[in-house]
Amino acid sequence: MSIVLNQISKLYRSQVVVDRVSLEIEDGELFVLLGASGSGKSTILRMIAGLTPPTAGTIHLHGRDVTYLPAQQRDIGLVFQNYSIFRHLNVAENIEFGLSVRKIPANERARRRDELLDLVGLAGLGNRYAHQLSGGQQQRVALARALAHKPKVLLLDEPFGALDVKIRAQLRRSLKEIQRKLKVTTVLVTHEQEEAFELADRIGVIERGRLVEVGESQTLYNKPQTSFVATFLGAGTVLTGRVREGCARFGPVDLPIPDKTGVHEGGRIQVLIRPEHVVLSDESDSGGYVSMGRGRIIEERFTGPERRLRLLLPPLANTRQVAPAVPFGEEGVVIEAAIPAEGSLQNPEPYVRLKGWHLMKPPTPHLLAVAMDSEVDALRHSARWLVEKLDGCATFLTVIPSKGSRRIAEMEKGRGQAAFSRIESCLREGDFVTEVLAELREKSYEMLLLASALKRPSGPAGRFHSSSLSLERLLQQTTIPILLVQGGVEKISRILICTAAGEPGKVDVREGGRLARRLGAHVTLLHVRAKGNARVAAHLEQAAATLRTLEVEVDVRIRLAPDPAAGILAEIREGNHDLIVVGRPDPGSQKFLGDDDVTRQILSGTDRPVLIISSEIEADLWGAATFTSTVVQSQNRRGSV
Amino acid sequence: MPVSAASQSQAQRKHSFVEWGLIAVVIAYASLLLLGPLAAMVWGAFSEGFARFWSEITSPDVLHALKLTVLLGGGATALNTAFGLAIAWVLVRHQFKGKRFINGLVDLPFAVSPVIAGLMLILLFGRDGWLTPLADAIGLKLVFSVPGMLLATTFVSLPFVIREVMPILSQVGTQQEEAAYTLGASPWQTFLRVTLPTIRWGLLYGISLTLARALGEFGAVLVVSGGVSGLTETATLFIFRSLDDRNYVGAYSVALLLALISFVLLILIELFKARRVES
Repeated sequence: MSIVLNQISKLYRSQVVVDRVSLEIEDGELFVLLGASGSGKSTILRMIAGLTPPTAGTIHLHGRDVTYLPAQQRDIGLVFQNYSIFRHLNVAENIEFGLSVRKIPANERARRRDELLDLVGLAGLGNRYAHQLSGGQQQRVALARALAHKPKVLLLDEPFGALDVKIRAQLRRSLKEIQRKLKVTTVLVTHEQEEAFELADRIGVIERGRLVEVGESQTLYNKPQTSFVATFLGAGTVLTGRVREGCARFGPVDLPIPDKTGVHEGGRIQVLIRPEHVVLSDESDSGGYVSMGRGRIIEERFTGPERRLRLLLPPLANTRQVAPAVPFGEEGVVIEAAIPAEGSLQNPEPYVRLKGWHLMKPPTPHLLAVAMDSEVDALRHSARWLVEKLDGCATFLTVIPSKGSRRIAEMEKGRGQAAFSRIESCLREGDFVTEVLAELREKSYEMLLLASALKRPSGPAGRFHSSSLSLERLLQQTTIPILLVQGGVEKISRILICTAAGEPGKVDVREGGRLARRLGAHVTLLHVRAKGNARVAAHLEQAAATLRTLEVEVDVRIRLAPDPAAGILAEIREGNHDLIVVGRPDPGSQKFLGDDDVTRQILSGTDRPVLIISSEIEADLWGAATFTSTVVQSQNRRGSV
Repeated sequence: MPVSAASQSQAQRKHSFVEWGLIAVVIAYASLLLLGPLAAMVWGAFSEGFARFWSEITSPDVLHALKLTVLLGGGATALNTAFGLAIAWVLVRHQFKGKRFINGLVDLPFAVSPVIAGLMLILLFGRDGWLTPLADAIGLKLVFSVPGMLLATTFVSLPFVIREVMPILSQVGTQQEEAAYTLGASPWQTFLRVTLPTIRWGLLYGISLTLARALGEFGAVLVVSGGVSGLTETATLFIFRSLDDRNYVGAYSVALLLALISFVLLILIELFKARRVES
């Protein structure tokens, strides 16, 4: 193994940039890290190079632990995106730089330099300076310079990013050739799918600091594990359906499931249909392919060798579109198809058939349940119920103060009870909030479950005080959705989303809506005001439209009440809601969870479960599976404004 | 359309007339302020012949004053180059609390009158000064002596190197240095072989400005030195004293010599400035 990354993470001011990435790269391999800009791929490369120290994890190069070694001692070569050749040195001096700092004699340096100039195709240009070279030539010099000292690992950070298309293609070919010739282990970072496919032995796809999938180009394109990779690499249609009678069902279409591990009846399943696997014809005869019915052509694009079409099919029962986006105002399923450029369709509503597809299991949400005091049973019960309903899994965390081990016995008892395969238990020692935050940082969770809330002091005063303080600190320091199960969650069929002041928050509506969809619950969008306001009504209607695109039943209510909290509490009593969704109060405000804070008043005034959602939340509740649907909704919303 | 062409050329002529007028004003202004005094200085220096000029500038007092001026100028420039580079580096490359405060503090010598700077040194190191016990303990006499004059000169010429180097450092960024690290160069090698060559023209520009400022310094040095002829008298202080003593030829001769040095420096400054802009 040339490069072994073990659980490396990078935090910038508690912002996770790289999230527990583990990776092994073979000797002589050309590995491509592919991700959107800002996904953390360059940070990973810099950590391998030794220019950025990892916050956690270890890095081995050729069996040597280099985690704490400076860049000088790692025996690597690095090429940046921006031409980083030394402008005060000529080409020859640039290439010899790595050799001259190693005190290698001049005649040997000259020999190596000429070798490299030949290798990168710049023979005879040794006397030129950077300003006398084109961008492509500068990058060739940078490559030669990085290779001069015969490094064991070559790192390339978007090396072709600043070049124009034609030169880029040329340089790619030479890079591949040189890499093959020298057999040097290479890691290349890029955001371009085409580049990755062309160069890579293997590709690692990075999303928001996480290594989502690793594999050969063809495997990743044809058989991705996640809908993120499916839509990030190339065009195609992704639909979510259900498992019925051992098949993946998308409306009238049943697709056989080749690998049934981890698939269970009624669970969600996704299908990826690449454009080239869609067959369009004017005749109704299926010709042995799977028929999807007739579709209307809504978009046509000429791309040279082929024509890309988008077809709108009537809505399929129990099927949700993940990608591409359904145009605003349309209903149904959009299928992306490709036909030869010279081919033509007589019928504007051709028959749509599939000659190939790929099934994917959507990721499951992971919940973290933490008991803040002795209300363990209600919490455990709720966690189990949610795990089952959401098709997810949960971790049950107990935090004990480092000194007293009074709780350990209790904890062990709890562990015995947790004999439920999708819930695991763990124990941490130390300060409650610190440990919960550490757990959230170390593993990825989609929701935090807490038992107790900001009750008016009913029990011992000290208990109230400490748990309310803990909640306050948690709300201040994390953006994960927090579900306060209060008396316990048993059924959720009616959800109340509160938009107390101002316009409805986008995130709480979206996340509340997702939860409602997964639970099959009805949503009431509530706005409380002292006076009626037409503009608010329009905003609420827009939010309701967003929820309807998620196939959630919605009704909208505007309540007139002098005090928002009083209005919300009255609505909870009248409407018999099972879950209340509120936005997280602004941690910067002076009233943050103070006595007259709306969230606090709601928490004190009801024993129903409350879900607190931060508007800063970035990772959505259900992980990468719905990443593209986030995009869909925001486009829809923009369309309706 | 010959008519409009004619009116156009007329407008052009008018335009160039205004242009030339403005240029003439600029030249007149510059000659009045720059060339006039220069001519008067040359006239004054040679008014009693070259022999008198020569004897004036080779007199022991003048030679000592010139030597001291060069010593102070060189010393202050060396100090400000070394520390200025370090300060510029820290201010550009590091993030720390109070960075903006220190960045503002760098401009203090520009804002404070040199005379006040000298007074501050007296307050710190004069008789019963706050830091006098400390200076005495290490056997350093700062007021009315050369070290104090050096300190004053260094203070007033502090900002130039920092202000010239900082924008270049932040503009070139860290990528070239990082590239050097990955090629095996130590931080010191990287500084000498990558960073320094990159900033050299800006640095030299800053150094020459520092030197020019240090050679011409008067107020701060006057307050700190006491101006004892043959001991703590610099060239500018000598000129001041000669005028007091009605030794006009001596004053003009030394002034002319200083002007010549400044002229050479000016050429260097312009040269460095051009190269800095180029790179």
